[in-house]
Amino acid sequence: MNLPDYFLADLPPEAKLSPPMIAAACNTLKRNREKYLLPRQTEDMVNLLCEVATGWLQTDNHFRRLALARGPSETGFSKAVLDKGLDRFFHQFTPDNFHSLLEQEIGKAAGVTDATQPASDFSSPTPDFWRGPELLTHIAAGNLPNPALMSLMLGLLTRSAQFMKCASGASLLPRLFAHSIYRADPKLGACLEIAEWRGGNRELECALYAETDCLTATGSDETLSAIRAQLPAHVRFLGYGHRVSFGFVTREVLRDEVIAEVVSHAADDVIAWDQHGCLSPHAIYVEERGAVESDRFAELLAIELAKRETSEPRGDIPIEESAAIASRRLIYETLATHRADAKIWSCPNSTAWTVVFEHDTTFRISPLNRFIFVKPVPDAAAVMVGAAEVRGKVSTVGLAASPEKSRELAAHFARWGATRICPLGRMQNPPLTWRHDGRQALGDLITWTDFEHDF
Amino acid sequence: MNREIYRFAARLRDLIGNPQSAISNPQFADLALELFALQYGQNPVYRNICAARNLTPPVVGHWTQIPAVPAAAFKELSLTSLAPDESTTIFHSSGTTGQKSSRHFHSAESLALYEASLWSWFEQHLLQASGLKFQVIALTPPPELAPHSSLVHMFETVRQKLGAAKSAFVGKLAVDGSWALDLEATLDALSPAPLRAPRAALLLGTAFTFVHLLDYLVEQDFRLELPAGSCVIETGGYKNRARALPKSELHALITERLGVPGENIICEYGMSELSSQAYDTAKNSPASVHYPRVFHFPPWARVQIISPESGREVAEVETGVIRIFDLANVFSVAAIQTEDLGIRRGDGFELVGRAQLAEPRGCSLMAA
Repeated sequence: MNLPDYFLADLPPEAKLSPPMIAAACNTLKRNREKYLLPRQTEDMVNLLCEVATGWLQTDNHFRRLALARGPSETGFSKAVLDKGLDRFFHQFTPDNFHSLLEQEIGKAAGVTDATQPASDFSSPTPDFWRGPELLTHIAAGNLPNPALMSLMLGLLTRSAQFMKCASGASLLPRLFAHSIYRADPKLGACLEIAEWRGGNRELECALYAETDCLTATGSDETLSAIRAQLPAHVRFLGYGHRVSFGFVTREVLRDEVIAEVVSHAADDVIAWDQHGCLSPHAIYVEERGAVESDRFAELLAIELAKRETSEPRGDIPIEESAAIASRRLIYETLATHRADAKIWSCPNSTAWTVVFEHDTTFRISPLNRFIFVKPVPDAAAVMVGAAEVRGKVSTVGLAASPEKSRELAAHFARWGATRICPLGRMQNPPLTWRHDGRQALGDLITWTDFEHDF
Repeated sequence: MNREIYRFAARLRDLIGNPQSAISNPQFADLALELFALQYGQNPVYRNICAARNLTPPVVGHWTQIPAVPAAAFKELSLTSLAPDESTTIFHSSGTTGQKSSRHFHSAESLALYEASLWSWFEQHLLQASGLKFQVIALTPPPELAPHSSLVHMFETVRQKLGAAKSAFVGKLAVDGSWALDLEATLDALSPAPLRAPRAALLLGTAFTFVHLLDYLVEQDFRLELPAGSCVIETGGYKNRARALPKSELHALITERLGVPGENIICEYGMSELSSQAYDTAKNSPASVHYPRVFHFPPWARVQIISPESGREVAEVETGVIRIFDLANVFSVAAIQTEDLGIRRGDGFELVGRAQLAEPRGCSLMAA
């Protein structure tokens, strides 16, 4: 099952990229955009994306089968994790969801069928023009596919030519997605480029940045600063730095009747993409004095993770990461023998999953790969105190609470600075309207022309 | 005070002090089990750890089964057989600001053992090979400014044994308490005195202070030519205190700027939680300049390379976590699991990195 070499990332590993190759690719993309992409209408793009997603949701889809066959070795995620993750992602691609996104970020002008024309709604006091960047470049981080695929989707909606640079060895899923677009509409596929090289290659990156109008990048603060320093001044820079997430389970759902469901949702969030990425929880804070006590919740979560390991196994991880887990485990096993208030449950004979229960409410960075802290707290205020060190860096708070309580907590966590609050179990599955790090994901890409008139 | 454990320490000190007395595998195994029983009896914190894992002296039949404690546990727990009034010195790890540091408690007897252990292996490695009399220059603050550093205590022990002047320490404390170099004093110590016959220099320091020094020399466009036979011993990681250089690059820069050839640059691997160190040269043989370097502990400390997945020893060519059983850690815990990764190479090991909380596939915060 080989792929045709439409993209630079399809070339054999020995093929060496050069700055002229990058510049030529960018120019081709721009020409193709002019010819094939600009004349297209927003609704066309929505239909295309929905069609592609419908394809990905079929079990016999060529690209899905390739993703599941090659994914485990190339991405480090098991087949079951990929299967579920891709399903959850592509289920979001519906006309209604796209229209909500367009309505949210472009408003009335979203109804425009030709983005280069004024909005059709001429009764509006300010008919507007909007357009996407000519060449939109993405610097994708790691193997987690969702952010990369989401970026490509947004760039198609803005009708931009797109160049995605993946980390070395991490281009499989963006490539497959790009190939699926190519198959659905080769002319649109010709407005995409996927390449991979190890970040920090100045020559290639300079050639790319020189052609770029807008650049999105995900990575560490150092990576983002380094990229920003190299960008020409006119390039719009959208950097997504490090974020962390946690869950919060309130007392009223810690009841025997619903506990199984709550635990299952918590496990979903720990298992999804093996806890990689900003949206996965490092810790789950659990209110004390529920009918089910917090340490029992931790134990039930451990039982659930053990069960799910057989159906949705964790992928293989590099030695540095398993050593980090082994090291943290040994520390907590050691501490647990001295503190009645610390407990640990872990997968015997492998690092596949670990639950650490401890009363210390300080937010700790987990070594991930299904290593979760469960921390009892008296109330939500204690969560905010415990997580004070990561305040301003929190992406998502996953809540298990009644609707009334959720509304109240959402207001608290929003004031505190969290940028997304969602039900527990959906942390790694944001809707298309998700505002990445609290900013408009689509709206940030767009440039408007205001048209003021006196007629 | 438990007499048995002191008697054990005295016996071990004799053994270590006599370079002719090799420690055979069966002898090591017996000593390790004997020490385990003593530590189980005398170290209540360690006893709890062993009991929780159901690995107690009657159950453990071989030294490789003796429960190891993570080096990081020294930050949280008092892992010592010494009663509070017996402890005279505490060595702290050089943790980064805001983090708890390890505590390794020492008494006069355990310090004496530490000194015997470090000197014996140091001497066998360095001095017998060169046969030279050194002028010692330590790129760290002096002991009075760093009383809790096991590394500075080691350098001071070496300085005293070699009869070098107290002015050997050319480091100082920065305003925030971190280690810095007194560059003027360093250059003064490294520049040849015109009226004296030049003596070979023995330069001791951490990798990050060497980087500070070398960066300065490059910036000033200085090149020094240390007297023939001069040696460099570099130790430890960077802990974000300087740009990190691969060992081969650091050593090339040392050769270029200080005139010390690669075969006279020796790497040390040690930590405040241990009482013995490993060096990357074979005893009495010219140092190898091949990379990666292979480290050796003295005969009274042994290394196991452990799979983080299974907890069992890995095969010779596989990477695993470095676990050390250091008999000289009589009054704390002998079996220490580090966060360093290594590969067994014959009777030594290669250092390949550190367990990381980095997230190559995701985008969460780095380890705090």
